[in-house]
Amino acid sequence: MTSLKRSHASTTPTTTLSSKTYLRTLKSGKVQKIVRELYLRQDIPCSSQLCTACLDLAPAGFHRKTEPFVLSATPSGTKEYPEGHYLVPDTNAFLSAMDLFESEGGVFQDVIVLQTVLEEVKNRSLPLYNRLIALTKNEGKRFYVFFNDFRLETYVQREAGETINDRNDRAVRKGCAWYAEHLQQAVKARKSARCPAVVMLSDDKDCLRKAKKEGIKSSNLQDYVSGLPDADRLLDMVASAREQRVTKESKAELLYPDYLSISAMLTGVKNATLHQGIFNVSPYNYLEGTVNVPSFDRALIIQGRESSNRAVSGDVVVIEILPTDQWKAPSSKVIEEEDVGKNENAENEDDAPEGIVSEQERRALQEEVRKTHGRSTEGQSQPTAKVVGIIKRNWRQYVGHIDKDSVRSRAKESRAQQTVFLIPMDKRVPKIRVRTRQAGDLLGKRVLVSIDSWDRESRYPVGHFIRSLGELETKGAETEALLLEWDVQYRPFPKTVLDCLPAEGHDWKVPASLEDPGWQGRRDLRDLLVCSIDPPGCVDIDDALHAKQLPNGNFEVGVHIADVSHFVKPNNAMDKEASLRGTTVYLVDKRIDMLPMLLGTDLCSLKPYVERYAFSVIWEVNANADIVSSTFTKSVIRSREAFSYEAAQLRIDDRSQQDDLTNGMRQLMMLSKKLRAKRMAAGALNLASPEVRVEAESETSDPVDVKTKALLDTNQLVEEFMLLANISVAGKIYDAFPQTALLRRHAAPPKTNFEELSNQLKVKSGLELRTDSSKALADSLDICTDPNEPFFNTLIRILATRCMMSAEYFCSGTQAYPEFRHYGLASEIYTHFTSPIRRYADLEAHRQLAAAIDYETLDASLQSRSKLEAVCKNINVRHRNAQMAGRASVEYYVGQALKGRVLEEDGFVMKIFSNGFVVFVPRFGIEGLIRLRDMAGDGEREPDSLFDAENYFLEIKGEKVQRKVELFQKVKVKISDEAEESTGKRKIKLQLV
Amino acid sequence: MPLDSSIYTLSALRLDGRRWNELRRINGQISTQQAADGSSYFEMGNTKIICTVNGPQEQKRGGGRDQSNEAKVEVEIGIAGFSGVDRKRRTRNDKRIQEMQYTISSAFQNTLFTHLYPHSTIAITLHVLSQDGSLLAACLNACTLALIDAGIPMSDYIAACTTGSMASYADKEDEADPLLDLNGSEEQELPFLTVGTSGGEDKVNVLIMETRVQMARLEAMISVGLDGCKQIRGILDGIVRAHGKKVLQSKVS
Ligand SMILES: [Zn+2]
Repeated sequence: MTSLKRSHASTTPTTTLSSKTYLRTLKSGKVQKIVRELYLRQDIPCSSQLCTACLDLAPAGFHRKTEPFVLSATPSGTKEYPEGHYLVPDTNAFLSAMDLFESEGGVFQDVIVLQTVLEEVKNRSLPLYNRLIALTKNEGKRFYVFFNDFRLETYVQREAGETINDRNDRAVRKGCAWYAEHLQQAVKARKSARCPAVVMLSDDKDCLRKAKKEGIKSSNLQDYVSGLPDADRLLDMVASAREQRVTKESKAELLYPDYLSISAMLTGVKNATLHQGIFNVSPYNYLEGTVNVPSFDRALIIQGRESSNRAVSGDVVVIEILPTDQWKAPSSKVIEEEDVGKNENAENEDDAPEGIVSEQERRALQEEVRKTHGRSTEGQSQPTAKVVGIIKRNWRQYVGHIDKDSVRSRAKESRAQQTVFLIPMDKRVPKIRVRTRQAGDLLGKRVLVSIDSWDRESRYPVGHFIRSLGELETKGAETEALLLEWDVQYRPFPKTVLDCLPAEGHDWKVPASLEDPGWQGRRDLRDLLVCSIDPPGCVDIDDALHAKQLPNGNFEVGVHIADVSHFVKPNNAMDKEASLRGTTVYLVDKRIDMLPMLLGTDLCSLKPYVERYAFSVIWEVNANADIVSSTFTKSVIRSREAFSYEAAQLRIDDRSQQDDLTNGMRQLMMLSKKLRAKRMAAGALNLASPEVRVEAESETSDPVDVKTKALLDTNQLVEEFMLLANISVAGKIYDAFPQTALLRRHAAPPKTNFEELSNQLKVKSGLELRTDSSKALADSLDICTDPNEPFFNTLIRILATRCMMSAEYFCSGTQAYPEFRHYGLASEIYTHFTSPIRRYADLEAHRQLAAAIDYETLDASLQSRSKLEAVCKNINVRHRNAQMAGRASVEYYVGQALKGRVLEEDGFVMKIFSNGFVVFVPRFGIEGLIRLRDMAGDGEREPDSLFDAENYFLEIKGEKVQRKVELFQKVKVKISDEAEESTGKRKIKLQLV
Repeated sequence: MPLDSSIYTLSALRLDGRRWNELRRINGQISTQQAADGSSYFEMGNTKIICTVNGPQEQKRGGGRDQSNEAKVEVEIGIAGFSGVDRKRRTRNDKRIQEMQYTISSAFQNTLFTHLYPHSTIAITLHVLSQDGSLLAACLNACTLALIDAGIPMSDYIAACTTGSMASYADKEDEADPLLDLNGSEEQELPFLTVGTSGGEDKVNVLIMETRVQMARLEAMISVGLDGCKQIRGILDGIVRAHGKKVLQSKVS
């Protein structure tokens, strides 16, 4: 037998081989051993503009392109490093102070990101990794990723017995040392005197000590930042260093139970002894959360701070079901953190002998237990659980304001460091403890913070300031606040994106010559009488329509959609930006576009009187609105008119207008009514959500009035044909790409969702809500009326809407066909096609449809299921966030419109608690909580009350007020606004009249 | 989460530190099993294969005599359970294995001078000891070595390699870089093809792609692949010559 020993001579001369072995644990709990080869090389440049030796090092890529060098030849200096310096942060520096690295203004430039560090950051936090990658692409910041693990001189082999962390620290130090020496040589070669220092940033004491011993310049974050100009502001962005707390740990009391280990959690979940789900905090009671898990059809209750064990709303948690005797009924009481925890001291961390649950909180919860127990309602308790571990934190940046009472010294000049509480705008997020030197400055401002950690000995999470958005209540600050809160990307489009626009700019025209490549595969539909119908003042016109009668008596109907995919090619910078933004966000006074203005409001927009590229769906339908045939084609159209809904309605109603365009619109109207009737017969739901429009005076854009949106027949006309187009396109792209079509589904709501509402209806109005199918639901909603109260039906529809699942985008390969169903529209299959200017999903559908009709080839990103799934996941979130941001904006403006006014309006009771109730005011679309406490005058105590949870009423037996409040009851309320004492923030206040 | 192939956009370096046009370390030996008529051991990075050739020998199977006037090339691939990341048994009926067997057999059917051995069989057995991408290409190369060892005349070496395309590398489609000789993790992320040629890059014997890729990228991928085959042919040639020298020396001494 010949020996099979490998001969090591045969390696390519420029590289040396090493290998890397690591273990990987899969989600299933399986452990894999991965062996990877590593080719170590010497041609990785240092990318410093000082260095000439590296210039010819990097071989060009296939397309003969080389990257320019990143690091400046004259980096900025500090007191300590007068000749300039390059920074080499370690992993923890990035993890704890990413905000710092992102800060503008000439600091934290010329940074070398080592591959070792990049990889570790990715391991620890994907969002931070993505932010770091974004930094490396920001030319002004000059971040360079140096692949030290591939370079022979800087590669570090893990030694026997060495931990991975130690190995990585060593790799970082070795990288620094190499750079320092390499730069020295480079400087010598240039015969220049200035040699920038290479400074390692780390908070690891051991690593710093070793660095010093090895002669590597190094500093911890705190010291480094202190040496910079504007240190105060920057220092606040350093997450309170871990080591500070380590010293405390010995004496601090551990308030919270420890988490289980990851493997214990995984095994538990696998054995179904533990459950995994997303932790959601109730908007009415900050001490109660719920977790939906697959094995229970009702959400599990998590009550109290100890049970929720440091989980923040949105985190993915692992929970353990409590024994039955500890099960609780869902809270019927409103508890707000601002009231209960008012007088806590942010600084009392050291001398806090009290437990996790403060005395006030205990009382608030106990009181309720007593009340519910009093009525011996056994069947009410529901499975209750506690959090035993966290799989994934979903912490983001939070907008909030400083709790005035937690600030020790309010003097603006005071630079003393103090710990203050930040109260997030999102009521479901606990207040955050923050150390700052600028408390005085930040008081009364909207500020952005992020949570760094939540340790066992701290009742509240600890975070740091990022920046101030401006004075509370100012339009700029509040708008930015809600954009940040809903994670809307609102910065101007970067240059790389604008570079993707057509060079002609606004002068771009549909080419005159039919020979032009732009016309290839396009049908000339310029002679069709097309028009668009949109809300007044709409500038991004996505869709236009036409209809004409055919000789055979049937109708030809066309829906023409802006051909955005012609301008936005897959994977270029503009496409990536659009896919990140996912949707255009509409605020009351502002629109945050998904695509640059030039496209959205001009080149793509199907403006009247000009020729535009379009993607057309054309059907032949008979007089009964049944589809005879459908065609999809890229086209060129010329819209004859852009109507507003009102104008179109007037034109259709005006019998004297008998031109072809108007008659076409009448035909559309006739057909749309038939389509709608068919859809309703199939069980489509007519749902309602409170929609109000804020009327603003254009110049000052101060809101003057609030109106509920009126619906005209023309609204429904457009809607019907858009639905029809979406459904037709969905079928077509699914046929062409059964695995990867991008579709939209709306799951049927589980029965339990409607339990409460249907019980309420039964008890209060003797009505029955049937929920076995969308048809049954639609029918039973139709008979949920109150002859004396026309609004009652709408109220029930609003409530029913809240019981629904939300519709979602998905990739067809991930679901079985029956799951494609759109419950609300009662359609088997559905997608979004008709608004590509403002929704990314539609743009993707356009690309798929274009490939399905062989107009062009499909990009790889649209063939990969995993990529599409990622796209869907993102746009689902974006879509939801955009809605929430829009709503928050309306809410803010309604508040502004009501400023200083006192009004009496009709309202309806929507929800009843044991210590208050929620009233909905249709005229303004606002919902407000009225607490019993509010009914008492100043200095009086809360009136006595009797709460009947089974019959949904609350009897108030105060000294002055004596009345009964019932669910669905119509009440008169006084609406006023009042400034909150502690914050100066304005709030709408409702009072029972 | 370890880094993935997207680092290429940062550094023009691949996950294992190679540039786009570099082969992994290739290592081969000839006559590793004395009992077989021809044998070889071949490594492309961590893809390791043992190949044995038996024959040409008379066909024993079947009642009626074979009508054909040339030798049949039969290929059998055994993939060791421990060869991949996950330990799993692959049955002989595995569709992918069958397809590879067919591809290899038809490639050599046309390159070997099979007409010299009518009514006989050349049996090639491949044992995959370790897999890390470019499996088919490595098998083809291992076969070439073993067939030479067996002394079966052929028109030229078949040398094979894979090329991938760095997906979404740049804004523009035609700027995607082709990558030579993919390893296992790259194969999972990127579209790739296997190309095998004989006579340097003159004649393409094998060209297989199971993933989808844009038309625009294909040309670059193939041209890089042809160049890779040429390099591999040189390496195979080196292995054969070194072996020949050794054999001669042992004969002389
Ligand atoms: Zn250099």
